[in-house]
Amino acid sequence: MSTQTDQESFLKLIEENKRIIFKICNAYCHNANDREDLAQEIIYQLWKSAVSFDQEHKFTTWMYRVALNTAISFYRKENKNKPFVSISNHHANIAATDDGLHDKAENINLLQQFINELKELDRALMILYLEEKSYSEIADILGITETNVATKISRIKEKLKHKFSTLNN
Amino acid sequence: MEDIELKNLWKEYDRKFEEARILNMQSWMLNIRTYEDLQTQKAKSKLNSLGSFKKRVIIAGVLLIAFLLFLILNSLKLSNIFFVSSLSAIVVFNIIAIVVYIRQILLINDIDNSESLTEAQEKTAKLQASTLQITRILFLQTPFYSTFFWNPEMITSNPVKFFLITLPVSLLFLFLSIWLFRNINYKNMEKKWFRVLFGSSEWTSVVQAIKFMNEIEEFKKETL
Repeated sequence: MSTQTDQESFLKLIEENKRIIFKICNAYCHNANDREDLAQEIIYQLWKSAVSFDQEHKFTTWMYRVALNTAISFYRKENKNKPFVSISNHHANIAATDDGLHDKAENINLLQQFINELKELDRALMILYLEEKSYSEIADILGITETNVATKISRIKEKLKHKFSTLNN
Repeated sequence: MEDIELKNLWKEYDRKFEEARILNMQSWMLNIRTYEDLQTQKAKSKLNSLGSFKKRVIIAGVLLIAFLLFLILNSLKLSNIFFVSSLSAIVVFNIIAIVVYIRQILLINDIDNSESLTEAQEKTAKLQASTLQITRILFLQTPFYSTFFWNPEMITSNPVKFFLITLPVSLLFLFLSIWLFRNINYKNMEKKWFRVLFGSSEWTSVVQAIKFMNEIEEFKKETL
């Protein structure tokens, strides 16, 4: 990462994937200040690890590995005992006024809350699943087999569906 | 709720980030534009501080061992047999602790965030948990702190005092140290004596690291 061009390309890739980074931060951090610290730490770790990036591999796979590893370590060090605060608590302007939209906003918050209640590795698995990554890519990022990925996703989805149906009925 | 609904909710959630304009990436990017800034952040990294702390502990440990070896080499007489053997045992346990510390430093340098999550997180948790292993080993040296002042004359001149007080106290230390060595492990972490010994926040993180190692093992297991 020595030349100006390298730096520019790195920043461009980060810019393109910034929402992934922030979703990970939101899943592993309970408050806005911590989220910004974590985002900075993730970008720094990506920058630091960029030399080890093999161009033959997919950039997002590498990025998810670095970002999730950094987030889990950060979470385990800093955020264990803090209560969960939904994104809507910080950004009230997100909430919709229309009934249908309100239900949707409610469901988004519920989904976010359910995901944040999962264990660290299960949480990473669900984020990757919802980001529509293939089972093979998820297996590669997590370091488990594809069969294991499929089994775990199916179990977590069942739990999520059960929680949604319990709350919505 | 079906798969498609879950994924649509997630997409909606993604869109809201953009709407809420909470992604102030530009300011973060400015922070990483110069290599010097990165180096400053690196120096502040907690993981690196941990490494530096361990390096300082190693230097202190080496100095202690050098001092103990100096005492041993200057006391090589038959009348000092208990002193020399006790100090030698303490030296051995400290050498073991230093070797484990060096392994930890190597492990710190070996942690690569671009590895798979289970691999990298397991290394991190092992690093935190190894502190408990060192403590177990160091407990084994405690009986030798109660024997270094023994000498043959002490036994012959006042055997009653030696066999009724001095020796039982040392045996008690020996029993306790072996018991602790065998029982300090994750399985006993909920027991009262364990919580008394390792109740501080630093130990809590070590114990939680062991728990997390077990979680990773479970996560890696294929279940049907």
